[in-house]
Amino acid sequence: MAARTTQRAATESAQLVEMSWDPITRIIGNLGIYTKIDFANRRVAECHSTSSLFRGYPMFMKGKDPRDAGFITSRICGICGDNHTTCSVYAQQMAYNVKPPPMAEWIVNLGEAAEYMFDHTIFQDNLVFVDYCAAMVAQTNPSVMARAENTPAPNGGIHGYRTIADIMRSFNPFEGEFYREALRMSRVTREMFCLMEGRHVHPSTVYPGGVGTMPEPTVFTDYLSRLLSMLDFVKKSVAMNDDVFDFFYQALPGYEEVGRRRVLLGCWGAWQDPTVCDYRYETMNDWGRAMFVTPGIVVDGELVTTNLVDINLGIRILLGSSYYGDWVNEEPFVTRDPLGNPVDMRHPWNQTTLPEPQKRDFSGRYSWVMSPRWYDQRSGEHLALDTGGGPFARLYTTALAGLVNTPYVTTTGRSVQISLPKSERLPEMTLEWKIPPWSNAIERNRARVYFVAYSAAMALLFLEQAMERVRAGDIRVFTDFKVPDEAIGCGFHEAVRGVLSHHLVIQDGKIANYHPYPPTPWNASPRDSFGTPGPYEDAVQDMPIFEENGPDDFKGVDIMRAVRSFDPCLPCGVHMYVGNGRTITQRHSPMLGAQHG
Amino acid sequence: MAKIKIGKPDVAIDAPAHIRGVPQGNVRAVYSKQPGHHPDGTADARRSTGIKAAHLDPVLDSMPNLPPG
Repeated sequence: MAARTTQRAATESAQLVEMSWDPITRIIGNLGIYTKIDFANRRVAECHSTSSLFRGYPMFMKGKDPRDAGFITSRICGICGDNHTTCSVYAQQMAYNVKPPPMAEWIVNLGEAAEYMFDHTIFQDNLVFVDYCAAMVAQTNPSVMARAENTPAPNGGIHGYRTIADIMRSFNPFEGEFYREALRMSRVTREMFCLMEGRHVHPSTVYPGGVGTMPEPTVFTDYLSRLLSMLDFVKKSVAMNDDVFDFFYQALPGYEEVGRRRVLLGCWGAWQDPTVCDYRYETMNDWGRAMFVTPGIVVDGELVTTNLVDINLGIRILLGSSYYGDWVNEEPFVTRDPLGNPVDMRHPWNQTTLPEPQKRDFSGRYSWVMSPRWYDQRSGEHLALDTGGGPFARLYTTALAGLVNTPYVTTTGRSVQISLPKSERLPEMTLEWKIPPWSNAIERNRARVYFVAYSAAMALLFLEQAMERVRAGDIRVFTDFKVPDEAIGCGFHEAVRGVLSHHLVIQDGKIANYHPYPPTPWNASPRDSFGTPGPYEDAVQDMPIFEENGPDDFKGVDIMRAVRSFDPCLPCGVHMYVGNGRTITQRHSPMLGAQHG
Repeated sequence: MAKIKIGKPDVAIDAPAHIRGVPQGNVRAVYSKQPGHHPDGTADARRSTGIKAAHLDPVLDSMPNLPPG
């Protein structure tokens, strides 16, 4: 059911109009954005991000068999569940002190590469582009649409669309050519995923110690043929994205301010290199830096660290505006990490979840999301890192670190170069993602399509490695292990939309504490105990408005572009409040026999 | 623990996921119970099928043994 409500809202001054979208559509979960908009100056004056959804995973994980963690936490999300399984498996492998055989690692990497390609494609082309399609732009910015009709597409030779408006029409939901092609591609990429991890999106063949996938030659050739069949799509997609986003910068001067915030990015790294990775905490820095997406933290364009131990120890879970009680008086689970470093009481290893449901109050507590922050020892600040929707932070840290150098992907210190081989229609191509001057909505979206290319290129490498092993007769995919009575573990991975960590404490052979931290708590966090707003709030607050509509038919497309650029992963419907005393209610109940009205 | 009221769980929260007597998948290799798996990590066609498995093994020792799915 979707509901749209318009009514006069209380305003602080005559100029400010309260506008709210709760829940936001085309994302997963219950995310609400509450804003105050200054229509006279065309800017957003204030923004609060809130979630009305409480899950309670850390509470019901307690006491369970730790081997079940990957299967249970997979159900956190219906779109990136496999990222949770993988991350949980990483954390368990550290706790059980087990290293899977290389073939298992390549299989997991191939599965995760397919997941990135699937999820980024379906989100970008079927959900994000609804905000940039001809049907939407014609309603929100008719002058931009008129200009698009007369602007030739610079990369028309690659994607075949003559003007920017032609590209935008192909983005139109359900009828646009590219929209439908993207849907077909999401099917192919899902098949690739299922070849490796058994089932999408909750894998059936990924366990601690290895995988249950049978590494036959045909598994890999089936994957390869699907991968090659989508390379044309990937190359076209990058060219179309570049054309449309560059056009927005030209057509709407100042559009770089939409969704812009300070460059504060976190990436926890993806795809282990089995030749280096042994899952021991003591060597985590080494195998973290060997990952095929480099973990790191970027502050104001500068790479602060790539060391996963530093990243781990700096994580702080703050309260402030969340419906939870403080746990500082509870017993800590981990006071020192295996290297002897002190672990903070606000670290996920020591967290106890104490829910305190209450009324939403924007001057007090207003969200079920906590406020994860990263403690910067240099400045003593608790940084509200964002993930840039995932790909932006991944490409940014990987480019700056310059540690990834493979046959298909190389880094230059300021860019990432991705080489894709010849495909059915298009020749061999080298795509280059360059670090942009801003962290804004358009650059987060642009990075997403480049990361699809990055994943495709990496998948080629993983395939070559895996097939080489198969040809040599190495088909080991599992290492036996014993569950210890007492252990701790942490897993670092990249969910599709950004950083993902799982922190695990085992006591008496059972889970004593388990805290998954997916990307959305980082991005959608409310104001913390220091008053620092979360990334959505920060990005939307003080943002200019380019939409041509006034308060009466305001769609909030710029705000939605800013929020959706982070790839929010929380579920949908719209409640919307506008000024002028009118109340509009639209209800849609797609049920047999239900009366519409 | 939290002060909120919650329902009574259907099963004990620490009910064992593993049933005693059923072999655990992760136990140290029990090769006698896993036909076709060799202690050195390799496998042969018996891993995949019990029907004339030897016919599906490679014709030469120098070839890798890749059991059918």
